[in-house]
Amino acid sequence: MPSRKLFGNLRQIAGVSKVETQGATVRQAIETLCANDTALRDAILMDDHLRPYVRVMIDGHDIELAQGLVTLVGAEDQIAVFPPMAGG
Amino acid sequence: MDGWAGKILDIDLSSGSVKTYPLDEKVARLFVGGRGLGARMLWDEVGPEVEPLSPDNVLIFTTGPLTATGYQTSNRFSVTTKSPLTGTVLDANSGGFWGMQFKKTGYDALIVRGRAEKPVYIEIKPTGVTINDAQPLWGKRVREVTQALGQNDHRRNVLCIGPAGENLGRMAAIMNDGQRSLARGGPGAVMGSKNLKAIVVEGKQRPGIDDDERFKFMLYETRKLLRASPLTSQALPEFGTVVMMNIVNNIGALPTRNHQQTQFEGAEAISGETLTEKYLVKNASCWACPIGCTRISKTDKVEAEGPEFETTWAFGAQCGIDDLAAIIEANALCNDFGLDTISVGSTIACAMELVEKGKLDADLHFGRADLLAPTIEAIAYRRELGSDLAEGSLRLATKYGLPELSMSVKGLEMPAYDPRGMQGQGLLYATSNRGACHMRGNMLGLEVLGLPKLIDRFQVQGKSSYVILHQNSSAAIDSLVICKFTNMGVADEYFARTLTAVTGIPYSTGDLIKVGERVWNIERLYNLREGFTRADDTLPPRLLNEPVADGPSKGWVSKLEPMLKEYYRARGWDEQWVPKPKKLAELELVNLMEAAR
Repeated sequence: MPSRKLFGNLRQIAGVSKVETQGATVRQAIETLCANDTALRDAILMDDHLRPYVRVMIDGHDIELAQGLVTLVGAEDQIAVFPPMAGG
Repeated sequence: MDGWAGKILDIDLSSGSVKTYPLDEKVARLFVGGRGLGARMLWDEVGPEVEPLSPDNVLIFTTGPLTATGYQTSNRFSVTTKSPLTGTVLDANSGGFWGMQFKKTGYDALIVRGRAEKPVYIEIKPTGVTINDAQPLWGKRVREVTQALGQNDHRRNVLCIGPAGENLGRMAAIMNDGQRSLARGGPGAVMGSKNLKAIVVEGKQRPGIDDDERFKFMLYETRKLLRASPLTSQALPEFGTVVMMNIVNNIGALPTRNHQQTQFEGAEAISGETLTEKYLVKNASCWACPIGCTRISKTDKVEAEGPEFETTWAFGAQCGIDDLAAIIEANALCNDFGLDTISVGSTIACAMELVEKGKLDADLHFGRADLLAPTIEAIAYRRELGSDLAEGSLRLATKYGLPELSMSVKGLEMPAYDPRGMQGQGLLYATSNRGACHMRGNMLGLEVLGLPKLIDRFQVQGKSSYVILHQNSSAAIDSLVICKFTNMGVADEYFARTLTAVTGIPYSTGDLIKVGERVWNIERLYNLREGFTRADDTLPPRLLNEPVADGPSKGWVSKLEPMLKEYYRARGWDEQWVPKPKKLAELELVNLMEAAR
C-alpha cells in the first residue's frame, strides 16, 4: 500500500504527517485520503485539478512531468504532497 | 529627479573629508540604483591593482528610486565592493529599516574610502555628517553596538560590524538593524579594514514621486496581487523560507555532509514544519512589507530572528546535524559576531570532511551539534584553527591539500541546492558574477516549485535561456531595490510601471529587464578586468564527476559544459565569455570594453 506524506499546512489540516492510502492512480489515492476531510480536499484540489502551486511527487519526481493525476502508483511508492511554497 | 535623491555622499576616512556631489542622471537612468548603481560606481573607483582589504577599496552603499517611497518592500539597500573572499565584484543587499532611513537622509549612495587611524563610526543626520570615535565600541558584538548607538526602527537605524569584521574574517557580514545582514562575500572585513565600526542614519526627507495618482494605483494593485497569491499571503508568512527543507530533500537535491549525499535523514527534524511547531515565537516584517516572512525563534538559550532556510541547511544537512535548537543558536551567534551563515556552515562542513579524509587533525565531525558554537566563536575571533576557517572553505581546503573539497564557485560557498539534482541551478551558480549564489535567479521556482511553470530539473538543452532571463530579472529587482519575494506574486511589468510612476521616466518591462542585463554585463566586464576567465565559470569537481549514489537524483552529475556553451551564445558573448561589441553597444557599455581587455 503506497504511503503518503503531507507537508506544510496540509499536515495541520489533516492532523497527520504520514498516512497509507489506496488507489491505483494519484487521483484515486488523493480521493481516498480526502474522503472524510473536505478541508484537506479543498487545500489540494480545485475543480478536480490540483490547486495552483500544489506539488505532488512520487518518490521525488513531480507528477506534472509524468501523467499528472492519472499517474500510476505502485505499492511501494511514496507520494509526497506539498502545499504552495516559496523561499530560498 | 523624482525617485532619486540626486546626491551622493563621499567620505574619506583617511583624510576625514566629507563631500557631496550630484548623481549623474544618465547613470541613474541606465543603472537605476542598488546593485546596478553600485556596480557602475565600483567600475570607476576600484581597479585590478587594488587589494580588497587595502584603504583603496571602497564600500558603496546604495538605495534605489523606489526606496522609502512606501512601495511594497521598498526597504532594501545594497553594498558594493571588491570581495575579500572571491576577488570579484561583490554586492550584497539587505532588508529591515536601515535602507529606508538612509534614503531619507537625502542621498542615493554613500561611498566610504580610505582607512581611519582609530576605530570610528559615521553618523548621518539632518544636522549634518560626523565621524565619531568608536574605540569604546570596538570589540563589541552586533546587538550591543546596535543598542548602544540608539537603534529605533522608524527613526534611527544602525548598521555595524561585529568581531568577525574587525578581525578581517573573509566571511564577515555587515549587519543592520541588529539582525539583518549584508552577508555574502565578506563586506564586513572591508569595513573592518577601514576601522569603521558603524554607520548610523536619521533622515526626514521623503523621496519625490512624479505621478502620485499613478503611484497610489500601483500600490493598490500590488497589495491586491500580494494578497491574492498563496505564496506571498500564505506560504511565506506561515512557514517562512525553511519550509523548503523537506521538498528539496524529497527531490534528492539537498546537499548533505559537504555534498557527499543529496538527501539528509534528519531533514524532518530541521524543517520549517518543526521550526513552526517547536520554536516559533512570532512573525516579523521589514519596513513596508505586507508579506512578513521573518521568523522569531526561541530556544532555552536564545530568542532571535531566523533562521532562514539557507542557514538551517548550512549548519544542518551540510554538517550532518539534525539539532534544530543548536542551529537556531548558531544562527544567532553568527548574527551577533557578524558572519555569513551560508559560508560559515559550509566551511565548517569542509573542515569536517578534511578531518574525515585524514587531512586535518581537529575535533570537527559530521553530526556534532555541540561543536557549532565554539567553532563559530573561534572563526569570529580567529582563534587557533578558527583563523584558517575564517579564510573561507577554498583557502582552507587548499591549505590542507584538497582544494576540491571546497563546495564553492569563484571562492563563494554554494547555497542549499545540489546542481546534480537541479541542472539549471548548477548553471546559475557557475555563471554568477559574485560566486555561487541562489539569489541571482530563481531556478528553484522553475525546477521544483513550478513558479511560474514547472520545467524538468534534469533537462539540459534550453536551460540557459531560463537562467539568463532570471539573472537579468533578479539584477533589475536588485537595482530598484525591492525584495525578490514580491516577485512571487507580482510580475516584472508592475515594477516597471511603478518605476515609471515614481521617476517620470518611461520604463517598459523590456527596459527594466535591459537594466538587469546591463548590470549583469558590467559585473562580467569587471571580473574580466580583474583577470577572471572562462575557467572560473565552473563547479566543484565532485558535482561534475561523482554521480549521486542514490535517491531521486541517482546517477546524475552536473552537465555543465553544454549548458555553458549555450549560455555564452545566448548572452551574446564569445567562447571566452567576453561580451561581443554588438551586445555592448546594445547595452550602452561600449566605452568600458577596452579597459576590460
